[in-house]
Amino acid sequence: MTEVVADQTPPILKGPSDKEKKYDRQLRLWGGQGQQALENAHILLVNSGSGVVGIETLKNLVLPGIGKFTILDTGIVSETDLGVNFFLDEDCLGQPRAEACTALLRELNPDVEGEGHLLEKDGLSGYLQDHHLYTLILFSYPIDPTSVSHIEEYGRKHRIPLVSMHSAGFYSYFRIVLPGSFPIVDTHPDSTATTDLRLLNPWPELSQFAAGLTKDIDSLDAHAHGHIPYIAILLHYLKIWKDENGSFPSTYKEKTLFREKVSSAMRKDTPEGGEENFEEATAAVLKTVSVPALPGSVKEVFDYEPAEIDADSNFWIIAKAVKAFYAQHNQLPLPGSVPDMKAQSTTYVQLQNIYKAKARQDVAEVIEMVRTHPHGKGIDAGEVETFCKNAAFIKLIRGPDASPRSLGEIARKEFQSDEEAAAWGGPVSLFPIYLALRATSHESSTRVADILSEVDASIPDVASNEHLKKVVEEVARAQGGELHNISSLTGGMTSQEVIKIITKQYIPIDNTCVFDGITSRAQIFRT
Amino acid sequence: MSPSAVVPGELGSGAAPSRWSFRDKILLSTGPFTHEMFEPSEEAVAALGEMQILVIGAGGLGCEILKNLALSGFKKIHVIDMDTIDVSNLNRQFLFRHSDVGKSKAEVAAKFVEKRVKGVSITPHNCRIQDKDEDFYLQFNSIICGLDSIEARRWINATLVNMVDEEQLQEGISDSLKPLIDGGTEGFKGQSRVILPTMTSCIECQLDMHAPRAAVPLCTLATIPRQPEHCIEWAHIIAWDQEKPFPDVDNKLDNDDPEHITWLYQKALARAQEFNISGVTYSMTQGVVKNIIPAIASTNAIIAASCCNEAFKLATTSNPSLGDGENNYMMYSGNEGIYTYTFKHEQKEDCPVCGQKAKDLTVDPEWTLQEFIESLAGRADAQLKKPSVRTAEGKSLYMQSPESLELKTRPNLEKKLRDLVENGHELAVTDPAFATVSFRFAIHYR
Amino acid sequence: MLKIWSMKQKQQQAANADAAATGIKKKKVTAAQLRVQKDVSELSLPSTMKTEFPDEDDLLNFTLTIEPDEGMYKGGRFHFKFEISQDFPHQAPKVKCTQKIYHPNIDLEGNVCLNILREDWKPVLNLQSVMIGLQFLFLEPNASDPLNKDAAEDLRSNREGFKRNVRSAMGGGAVKSQSFDRVLKS
Repeated sequence: MTEVVADQTPPILKGPSDKEKKYDRQLRLWGGQGQQALENAHILLVNSGSGVVGIETLKNLVLPGIGKFTILDTGIVSETDLGVNFFLDEDCLGQPRAEACTALLRELNPDVEGEGHLLEKDGLSGYLQDHHLYTLILFSYPIDPTSVSHIEEYGRKHRIPLVSMHSAGFYSYFRIVLPGSFPIVDTHPDSTATTDLRLLNPWPELSQFAAGLTKDIDSLDAHAHGHIPYIAILLHYLKIWKDENGSFPSTYKEKTLFREKVSSAMRKDTPEGGEENFEEATAAVLKTVSVPALPGSVKEVFDYEPAEIDADSNFWIIAKAVKAFYAQHNQLPLPGSVPDMKAQSTTYVQLQNIYKAKARQDVAEVIEMVRTHPHGKGIDAGEVETFCKNAAFIKLIRGPDASPRSLGEIARKEFQSDEEAAAWGGPVSLFPIYLALRATSHESSTRVADILSEVDASIPDVASNEHLKKVVEEVARAQGGELHNISSLTGGMTSQEVIKIITKQYIPIDNTCVFDGITSRAQIFRT
Repeated sequence: MSPSAVVPGELGSGAAPSRWSFRDKILLSTGPFTHEMFEPSEEAVAALGEMQILVIGAGGLGCEILKNLALSGFKKIHVIDMDTIDVSNLNRQFLFRHSDVGKSKAEVAAKFVEKRVKGVSITPHNCRIQDKDEDFYLQFNSIICGLDSIEARRWINATLVNMVDEEQLQEGISDSLKPLIDGGTEGFKGQSRVILPTMTSCIECQLDMHAPRAAVPLCTLATIPRQPEHCIEWAHIIAWDQEKPFPDVDNKLDNDDPEHITWLYQKALARAQEFNISGVTYSMTQGVVKNIIPAIASTNAIIAASCCNEAFKLATTSNPSLGDGENNYMMYSGNEGIYTYTFKHEQKEDCPVCGQKAKDLTVDPEWTLQEFIESLAGRADAQLKKPSVRTAEGKSLYMQSPESLELKTRPNLEKKLRDLVENGHELAVTDPAFATVSFRFAIHYR
Repeated sequence: MLKIWSMKQKQQQAANADAAATGIKKKKVTAAQLRVQKDVSELSLPSTMKTEFPDEDDLLNFTLTIEPDEGMYKGGRFHFKFEISQDFPHQAPKVKCTQKIYHPNIDLEGNVCLNILREDWKPVLNLQSVMIGLQFLFLEPNASDPLNKDAAEDLRSNREGFKRNVRSAMGGGAVKSQSFDRVLKS
């Protein structure tokens, strides 16, 4: 038997690794797990048109360290490329653009693999063979319709996200097509999001602990009184309120009255003329004295019937268990975190432990339910724990199949709200930009009349809109040419979304983002 | 109206496309939103290459800005940054390589872009912005900031506001007006804004857009820590001064010295254990002590490109831009979907920097300071009864209070004005009667 | 629309030459200095407080002396060093006591626990409010959240004993084998 030798070096002497140093500023956002997901990713860029937007997107993915990228491009480097694409120089003139860009992009990060291939006409299908190579495909417009169908077919078959981009003149958009429903657990909610403290339905350990701290509250010395954590203060006065009124304060008016009661219990004969913990308690009343309602986004997850192919995924198995937990307890598993509050260190740590213990108990219950699922045996307990911790903030982005609206419907709705916005000077819809660029998806034939007739052909009745006409003129003005700034900005937005999708953190858009470089605004549509 | 093109450069028209053909399609034709003042011309295109533009900061935003300006057709660019390259810059500052660590950011960035984009000249300045004088800043048409320091932003803002020549401006000569374009990021969020000094809301007007860093009471750190951050702050603010662990460097904390950070980390860890607090890590220690703000390539790309897009529109008038239109500020948030909010931040009347323009005062150089101060009380537009006066160089001429300063500055009252203030220089005057404003006077001798 | 970047390069050069010829190099006080000038010139301190500026042109660095005329610290003279950064008033002034004193809210290094110097600082607050806050600490030392735990323990458990300790520490004596600076006026 091998003898285990305990490591004598204390771990505290270990500084960050070279990789942690290099990626420090991003690890603070998506952590080691997110980074690992990026490093496992292989991104394909099918570049078309002048393709700056695609290269700029890749730049922002190579820098944070995706595993690998591949560029396919029919283009040969021309003079025009040198005026818009930073990842080419004069030595590249006449070379296949995919290879030249790949070489200069790879310089950005030695940890990233990359390859670029000159795409022969109709050669795309050869690269999109049966095997599953890519994590996500990016492609840029204008591009021929056959290539789009190859890409879409590959995306459907291998169930991977597709992201298309189009940048011309001062306008751009990008659009994400997810392979199906896309659930996110680690949404990074705002730290000010409501904390679930269970003040109206405390479990016995919490009640007992709070009661111990508030026993003889009025005769406590100044120091003890000024250090009761506000959770205990609120639980104490809630109990009194209930004893007097028969129920907890529930209406806004009752809560305001209750708040006054808490506030008036603050001692004013202190050097500061008040008590911080009571001030915290007063400020927390409206936010914490309520049974948290099931957030709409979580209800959506509970109500959703995942496609057969997804139903046995870890997410949906855990979601089902949490749903059962909710049905049984009428509340989500306790997240278990306690906001910082005025208290003695030991008291605060004890309080934290009480919440943590309860959270662990809830997790254990969910795990038990997960294990009853035929595929639930192998699910890591840590994954269940993370799910439970974030249960109130999980988010589901629906796949392309969910209640699609036609472009005509969206356009009519947007034009109608434009009329209303005109009355108060609100910003005008950016949807016409999408329609106009979309009409030039396959060739940059950019005469105003051509674009308008293309719009008219696919969406009857909208081409007469005055604003749309102007937008079409602006699109025609660019004649398909990319402005570096707009493509770089769009590449920045696209790469943010790609990172969110690959790391499964934060919340990606659903599903089309239009940018107007004239008014400096973005707008999201589901198309 | 359909776009009228000066040069009909249709795609595929046969002629060899020029390097700048995409940009010039925009510059050589009008669009439906361009102002009637916009005149497409080859001269306007050429003028773009003649404009001098200054980039402040060669970091995450600065690298992007330099690339974007070069690919917008600006050819005379300067960049100023006092920092050297650190390994933690490499995840986004894409003009730098591992072998550049320790070198000047401004120099490496300038050289890289000059080499990549032929025909562009980028002059690096490896120094602080405060090391340059007005003559330096006067040579530029516009200034783009990619900074992480509020102090530096406030400094350049005040400098540019002060440079505006009101008289010239009234005559329609805007040479002294240097549009300031400013970008900033934090994680998935950022903002870009355009400031026309004295004409629109300035950085000082917008100071409340920067939330001050949240702080924990010192006594919490000292006696009742509850969070891992409290233990780190304790080590940083209290233990370091108490124990003076590095006498060889005069106990000066160097945030970039791993030995120093390790000392703080171990201190914090021990304290956390004492109080049963979990979660202190080396990375968190670094983050708290250096006040590290997460930064990624994507967000820098968005904000830098937004700044440069506005600069390009301002320079060419090829479309309306932030600053000359309704709005002057764009907020971007990518945490939850994508959300932009573009709005007009209003100029503040009581802004200490742009709210009070310097008034010209013609005075007798033979006056004593006392006589000058008395004259201020009589001026209808000021009515300053108890003014305290300092020069623009920061010399206290006369302070009404507190007592110690009054005593020290009292001898100046007898001195002649010409011995205290140079012709054309400014005085800063405050008076308790005016609670929120300070006055500036430009002194001209008869 | 304003045509900001006039292409009149010649005019600009002329203007620059003009400025150079008359030798006008406008310099300007920073926003922080301007604000401090305001704050300083508007100070209206009771007779128990005085400021001292080693360099009358440098308003960003000075000392404040407090001589409480009532309370347990009566008879003492306490010095505080103010350091104001160019980030003022975005950031609070840095204030430290330059003497080693026995006070529950001031530690042996001179750090001061006063809410408006840290967590409750707002740019609308001014130097006057900070100084009044400091003086208050000598009238009402606060035992509940101390920086000097020993002093706070003494104040909480034995107010009379605490008073005696204050007197002896102010006289330059020792409290629990910890020696203090002599801060008595006479």
